[in-house]
Amino acid sequence: MSIDWITVGAQIVNFLVLVWLLKRFLYRPILDGIDAREAEIAQRMREAARIRAAADGRQAEYEQQIAALERMRADALDAAQREGETQRKAMLEDARKRLRQEADERAAHRAETARAFAADLQRAGGEALLSLTGKALRDLAGETLESRIVERALAQLPDRGRELAMASERGRTALALTRDPLPAQTQERLRVALSEVLPDARLDFRTDPARPLGLGLQLGGVQVDWTIESYLDDLAGRLDELAAATAKMGVSDAA
Amino acid sequence: MQLSPDDTVIFTILGIGINATIANTWVIMAVLAGVSALITRNLRPDVPPSRWRTALEVIVNAIVGQIAEITNRRDPRILYFVGTLFLFILAANLLTVVPGFHTPTASLSTTVALALAVLAAVPLFGIASRGLGGYLRTYVEPSVVMLPFNVIGEFSRGVSLAVRLYGNIMSGAVIAAILLGIAPFFFPVVMDMLGLLTGVIQAYIFAVLATVYISSATATPPANESGTEKETS
Repeated sequence: MSIDWITVGAQIVNFLVLVWLLKRFLYRPILDGIDAREAEIAQRMREAARIRAAADGRQAEYEQQIAALERMRADALDAAQREGETQRKAMLEDARKRLRQEADERAAHRAETARAFAADLQRAGGEALLSLTGKALRDLAGETLESRIVERALAQLPDRGRELAMASERGRTALALTRDPLPAQTQERLRVALSEVLPDARLDFRTDPARPLGLGLQLGGVQVDWTIESYLDDLAGRLDELAAATAKMGVSDAA
Repeated sequence: MQLSPDDTVIFTILGIGINATIANTWVIMAVLAGVSALITRNLRPDVPPSRWRTALEVIVNAIVGQIAEITNRRDPRILYFVGTLFLFILAANLLTVVPGFHTPTASLSTTVALALAVLAAVPLFGIASRGLGGYLRTYVEPSVVMLPFNVIGEFSRGVSLAVRLYGNIMSGAVIAAILLGIAPFFFPVVMDMLGLLTGVIQAYIFAVLATVYISSATATPPANESGTEKETS
């Protein structure tokens, strides 16, 4: 166990040389390589972070666009719904109006039909009544009835005086027409009554079995009748007036 | 029987005899530097690392991590010094398995040289870190009375480093040589395996102790540091 100091010195030198060699060929390249790789990794991480930030920004931008589109879609949907609702209400209102119009038309038609039916019924009733009345009067007609008619004519003769006076200008002889011969008393009363209206007129009497029951007075081309037929005609006229008044009332109610 | 490779002169240059210690040291230096240069010659960031480069990175990173664990800082100068110590001693000790190769660490001259290098590096690193005054002040702490003890302790570190490495490696080699003469078929193999393990451990211990000494000289605050040396053997 000895120490060779020359070898010691040489080994120290060798060690220092080895330190330099390893620093030159081992530590520096390895550490520099590690540092470079770390720097590259850091650079890539920064780049990745930058790309990630850009991607996040794009994502946020797209999300905003999507939200805007969603809002636009919701707005358009609301507008379409509102428009649809408006159109639906308008169509419903139009349909209701048409329905009301059709209902009014149907009501008017029904009223017209009812009025026509009522008029027809009234007319038929009137005709039936007229027919029955005429038949009853004809069946019941007799001397007494004819005398009653003449009595009625005597009462109304003054009212027809003006008409008869105008007719008397063309003839002075009046002719009383009956189906059956009038009693003498009745004839005298008729002659007196006519003389009161037409003092200058002369009255003749004539019977005609074909005539309707009642009195007909001819003077100067004018004939005034107080017969059952005239009564029935008067009744028919009144029934017609009543039917016309009823129809007018029905039209005003339908309107 | 030659116990030290210092006595074996391999060749002579300009009248100076080059013994096996120096020659084998050159071999080790050539191997370390050559392999390093070979692996790191095409080292660029854009080139994918090879397996050899990865292996070197693992070794260097392990050394850097070990130094940082002890010193709590990353100083490349400590890496250059301590890493070279570790790799040199490790290579030298592993090469004991090569027949006819006299490892330089079995020479007391080599271990003394390495111990002297550590002994010189400690104050140099301390002065570089704390300044001359700051470093010298550590010798009179905690009081001036401790000055001779600190000086003795500083030198005893070097002696213990040198003798510990030399004793372990030389004894292993000597025992292997003796057993080779007695029972050449079994025991030398076992002893060589044990010698490899011992050599790796000794390289680690030498490097760690050097790191601890340098760390104690450079650590702040200077107080409470002189008595915290880690003694491992």
